[in-house]
Amino acid sequence: MFDKILIANRGEIALRVLRACKELGIPTVAVHSTADADAMHVRLADESVCIGPPAAKDSYLNIPALLAACEITGADAVHPGYGFLAENARFAEILAEHNVQFIGPRPEHIRLMGDKIAAKRAAIELGMPTVAGSAGAVGSDAEAERVARDVGYPVMLKAAAGGGGRGMKVVRSASDLASALAMARAEAAAAFGDDTLYLEKYLERPRHIEIQVLGDGKGRAIHLGERDCSLQRRHQKVWEEGPSPALNAAARDQICETVAGAMRDIQYLGAGTVEFLYEDGRFSFIEMNTRIQVEHPVTEMITDIDLVAEQIRVAAGNDLALRQYDVKFHGHAIECRINAENPVSFRASPGKIVHYHPPGGLGVRIDSAVYHGYAIPPFYDSLVGKLIVHGKTRGECLMRLNRALDEFVVDGIETTLPLFRALAREADIIDGDYHIHWLEEFLARGAMEQ
Amino acid sequence: MPKTPAIDHDAIRDLAKLLDETGLTEIEVQRNGTLIRVARNLPPPTARTQPVQGPGVAETITAPVAVPIEPTEHPGLVASPMVGTAYVGPTPGARPFVEVGSQVKTGETLIIIEAMKTMNQIPAPRSGTVIQILVEDGQPVEYGEPLMIIE
Repeated sequence: MFDKILIANRGEIALRVLRACKELGIPTVAVHSTADADAMHVRLADESVCIGPPAAKDSYLNIPALLAACEITGADAVHPGYGFLAENARFAEILAEHNVQFIGPRPEHIRLMGDKIAAKRAAIELGMPTVAGSAGAVGSDAEAERVARDVGYPVMLKAAAGGGGRGMKVVRSASDLASALAMARAEAAAAFGDDTLYLEKYLERPRHIEIQVLGDGKGRAIHLGERDCSLQRRHQKVWEEGPSPALNAAARDQICETVAGAMRDIQYLGAGTVEFLYEDGRFSFIEMNTRIQVEHPVTEMITDIDLVAEQIRVAAGNDLALRQYDVKFHGHAIECRINAENPVSFRASPGKIVHYHPPGGLGVRIDSAVYHGYAIPPFYDSLVGKLIVHGKTRGECLMRLNRALDEFVVDGIETTLPLFRALAREADIIDGDYHIHWLEEFLARGAMEQ
Repeated sequence: MPKTPAIDHDAIRDLAKLLDETGLTEIEVQRNGTLIRVARNLPPPTARTQPVQGPGVAETITAPVAVPIEPTEHPGLVASPMVGTAYVGPTPGARPFVEVGSQVKTGETLIIIEAMKTMNQIPAPRSGTVIQILVEDGQPVEYGEPLMIIE
C-alpha cells in the first residue's frame, strides 16, 4: 500500500479522498493555492503545501508544482479527484517517470477516452451500443450531408476535442447544415485548437444513464449499477439518482454486463463511468469518464462500497477483491448538487457563509468542504456541497429528501437549495418521468420565478 | 571654556507629563541653544489590517527601538515563486550565493529552488543588502514562503 498520498485537488472531493485515506491508515498531503489556505481539506490533512497563487493554471493545474510537492513531502501516490488534472494523460505519465503512482487509469486509457472519435470507435469495437452517425471525423461538407441524410435529421455536430457539453450544435434540416458546419468548425478551432468534427443522430428526449465500473488493470472488472443523471442544466448535472426510474431489470443487467465485459477486455484500471443516452429502449454510448465522478456517492449509498478506497487499493497493485456477486444493490439514492448560485438566474454567488446548518438523520449524507464562516472563493467552481439521501424505496428517498432540504440552512450567500425544494415536489420528478431537456424546459417556463 | 549644560531634569519631566496628557508620541523644544526631544513608543494602535508597505512609509519610521517586523510584512521580502527544495549554493558544500550583509544587484541569483529535478535560479527582484536569510540549505519551501529580506 502507499506510504503517503498527495491529494491534487480542492473542495469537497479533496475532503472525500482524505476521508478514504484516513480510513485506510494512509498519511495525506493537501495542496492548496493561496486562496485556499483556510480550506477544510488543508486543515484536516496531515501535511499541506501551498503550490501557487489563486489562478488554477498556476496552482491546481501546475504539474511542476505538484511534483515538487510530492518530492518535498515524500508522497508516493497522487489522487487527482475530478476536474483539474484527473483526465490528463500527460500528468499520469510524468508522475510515473518520477516514480509516483497516479491513482487512476493507465495513460493510454485516459488518452483513448479523451479523444471522442477514438472513444466511439473503441466503444463499437468493444460491443457497446453507439448512436448512429459518422464512423469518425467528418471530412468534407458533402460527406457530412450524406451521413446526415442516412441517419436522418435532426443531427448533432460535435467537436472531437470537446466535452462537458461544449462544442455541440444541433442541425434540424439539410438547408442549415452547411452554415452550421462552418460555425461549429470555427468554434471548435477557437475553443479547443482543433476543428475536427463528427456527426451523430440527435436524440430528442433521451435520458442520461451511466454505468459505474471498477477494474484492477489485470482483467478483472465489475460494474456497480447505473446512475440516472438526466436532470441537467447547460449539460451540467444537477440531480443524480440510482437506480434509474426508467430501467427494468433486464435492460439494466444487459447494459451493465456489456460495459463490465468491455472493461475486462481492455484491462481497465481504477474507477470509471461509461455514459449513455437512453431513448426508446436503446442505449447510445456518449463517452467514458476515466476518473471518480462528482455523483459517485449515489452508487456508494446503494452498494455500501467505498469507491475511492477501491480506487486506491487497485492503484497500489492489488487485485480487485470484489466479485460481481459481492455487489448487492439496496434501496434508492438521490444526490443534489448545491451550488453557490442564484436559484433563478444561476449567477454565481461567492462570499462568506455566515450561518451553516447541514441536515442530519438516518440516510442523509453531506459531502461538502464548507463550514460556518467559510468564504467561498471566486476562483473555482461554485459547488457548496452535495446532499445525498438514501431510502429503502424511491418514495421513501423522496420524502427524506424533502425533509433534509427543509432542514438545510446556508446563509450569507445565494444557493440553489430552493431549486431542489421545488424539484422534489414536481409531479414529473416524483413519477421519475423526465429526460435531459426536462430541467431547461422547466426553467424556461419560469417555474422558479414564482 | 564651553561647559556642557546641565541636564534640565525638570524640563524633561514637564515635557514627559505633557506627552502623557496629550497622548502625543514626540515633543521637541528648542530654547537658548538647547534642544530637548522627548519621544516614546506606543503599542501599535489596533490590529493592523493593512500591512505597512511602500518605501515612503518605511522611511518615516524612526522608532528608537527596532520593532520586530513579520518577514511577510517586510517591504524587502523575497518570497518563493514556486514550491520545491531550496539550496543556498550552486553545489553541495559550495559557498552560498549570498550571505547576510551581501550587496546584491537586480537579477543576481539569490538561491536555487529545485522542482521536478530542475534547478531554478531565483534572481534578486531589486538591488540592496541582504539583511536576513530565512531558509536553510535543503529546506522544502512552499509557494509564497519567505526566503530572504533585501533592503
